[in-house]
Amino acid sequence: MTSSSTPSRKALSKIACNRLQKELAEWQVGPPAGFKYKVSDNLQRWVIEVGGAEGTLYAGETYQLQVDFPEHYPMEAPQVIFLNPAPMHPHIYSNGHICLDILYDSWSPAMTVSSVCISILSMLSSSPAKQRPADNDRYVRNCRNGRSPKETRWWFHDDKV
Amino acid sequence: MAAEAEAEEEVRLEVEAVVAVYGEDCRVYCDFPPHLVVHVRPNTADDSSQQFVELFLGIKASSQYPKEPPHVYAVESKGLDENRQAYLISSIQDKAKELSYYPMLVTLCEEAGEILSNMNHPAGDCPLCLYPLVSENNHDSALPFMKLMSCYHCFHSDCIMRWWGWLQHDDANSKKIDTTISTGEELRLSNSDKLYNANHHKGFCPVCRKVFDEKDIEHVRDLLDANTSQLMACLTVDLGEDDKELLHSEAEKKRREKIGSLFNLQQERNGLIEPKKDLAIQPGMYVSLPAIEPTTSAGDSTNSWEATASSTSVTDPPVTANISGGGKKQNNSGPPRRNRAYAPRKQPHGQRAGKQWQRSQPARQQWQKKDAET
Ligand SMILES: [Zn+2]
Ligand SMILES: [Zn+2]
Repeated sequence: MTSSSTPSRKALSKIACNRLQKELAEWQVGPPAGFKYKVSDNLQRWVIEVGGAEGTLYAGETYQLQVDFPEHYPMEAPQVIFLNPAPMHPHIYSNGHICLDILYDSWSPAMTVSSVCISILSMLSSSPAKQRPADNDRYVRNCRNGRSPKETRWWFHDDKV
Repeated sequence: MAAEAEAEEEVRLEVEAVVAVYGEDCRVYCDFPPHLVVHVRPNTADDSSQQFVELFLGIKASSQYPKEPPHVYAVESKGLDENRQAYLISSIQDKAKELSYYPMLVTLCEEAGEILSNMNHPAGDCPLCLYPLVSENNHDSALPFMKLMSCYHCFHSDCIMRWWGWLQHDDANSKKIDTTISTGEELRLSNSDKLYNANHHKGFCPVCRKVFDEKDIEHVRDLLDANTSQLMACLTVDLGEDDKELLHSEAEKKRREKIGSLFNLQQERNGLIEPKKDLAIQPGMYVSLPAIEPTTSAGDSTNSWEATASSTSVTDPPVTANISGGGKKQNNSGPPRRNRAYAPRKQPHGQRAGKQWQRSQPARQQWQKKDAET
């Protein structure tokens, strides 16, 4: 599983390329509301701007998601993290790692960048308080060697938030 | 007062009629005012491999029925996206308004069946590669696809096989991860992990996560790998005793003759309509084989994806009961039709697919021909 820890090292497979080109084309026709793809020529790493939804704790704020695609995307989940500064959220660690099941165990190849974005925004929007996860410091310390969130055995917090 | 009782009695008889026609596919919640849910399928001659959509149609009438048209709604559907389902329901609703003052329960169900028949093809893109499942105008790009029988979600055969292969590979790797990450602090398994382990030798639908069995998908792999003759052999091996008998039976011989004459008829008319070579694997999968350029229509580009049919499937008639010559995904309204008399419907559940041969409608043939000429 070394490929997942260094997702950008191995080039995309032909199938992954085709699929991503299709996703990008569809994104350009109709991006998910609140998201903006930052144009780059690197198909394997997308940087996406997300605006906090109106009427939520994050209204008026803008964050950046970095999506790295593994060689065998979409069989394998993309690595999705928030770039610094990550939003204060009970499921988002200060290093940008996101505790969201669909990014790990519950990933399915029928999901898309677009559907992942929508899930993340809905997670943000339903936040009851701007705070870090209880185990933030310990977790972030453990990740100092540059560990990918995909290597973490996540224990998912309750699904409500 | 007497007139009222008479009207009510009439409505009750109408409900009875629906039950008579739809049998177990009809659930009556209330006789009067009528409230029922009917399981409506497209007219595919009860060939479940040819069925890509279905609807549980709810009909709820007031005591003013039939003066006041009933409320119709979708309880559940398979294979229909939002748009198609909305279209279906509003069409039935329109029909109900049109028929106000007349008994209409059976007619509404039949209307639903008609519309479903016209919609009986997978819609949209393959959820895995995001390219269309069924190419409308370029038959070179039509790839074989399959349907999961449990949920009617469709995928390109190659795409689902790739994913299945990945699951196997992932499974082998996950043991390694368990040991390498045991130093981490978050070792508690998530629920989905447990679920995954429980489904060790099963796959699940990437769209809805309904579990399917390993055997099913291995079977698909065998079919895709094998060439045609091996494929026949493979299917023959899988046939039960009943089916072997069927193969040699008089009825089967007649069926083949019928297919032969049907083919001749079709050829006389336009020489173009050829059955798509379909394979149905019960109970799990549906596979359509890679398209082989039909020799008779080489160079023709029709707008029908059915034109990707292989000519070989006709020139050498199916030798196993499991190989269907059907391919009438979109127009299933031709004969043999379900009997419109109030007779209980045959239950297609669990029936082996591919035994039925359906003629395509003349109108359809003309349409295709016209298409081919342009
Ligand atoms: Zn596909
Ligand atoms: Zn499904």
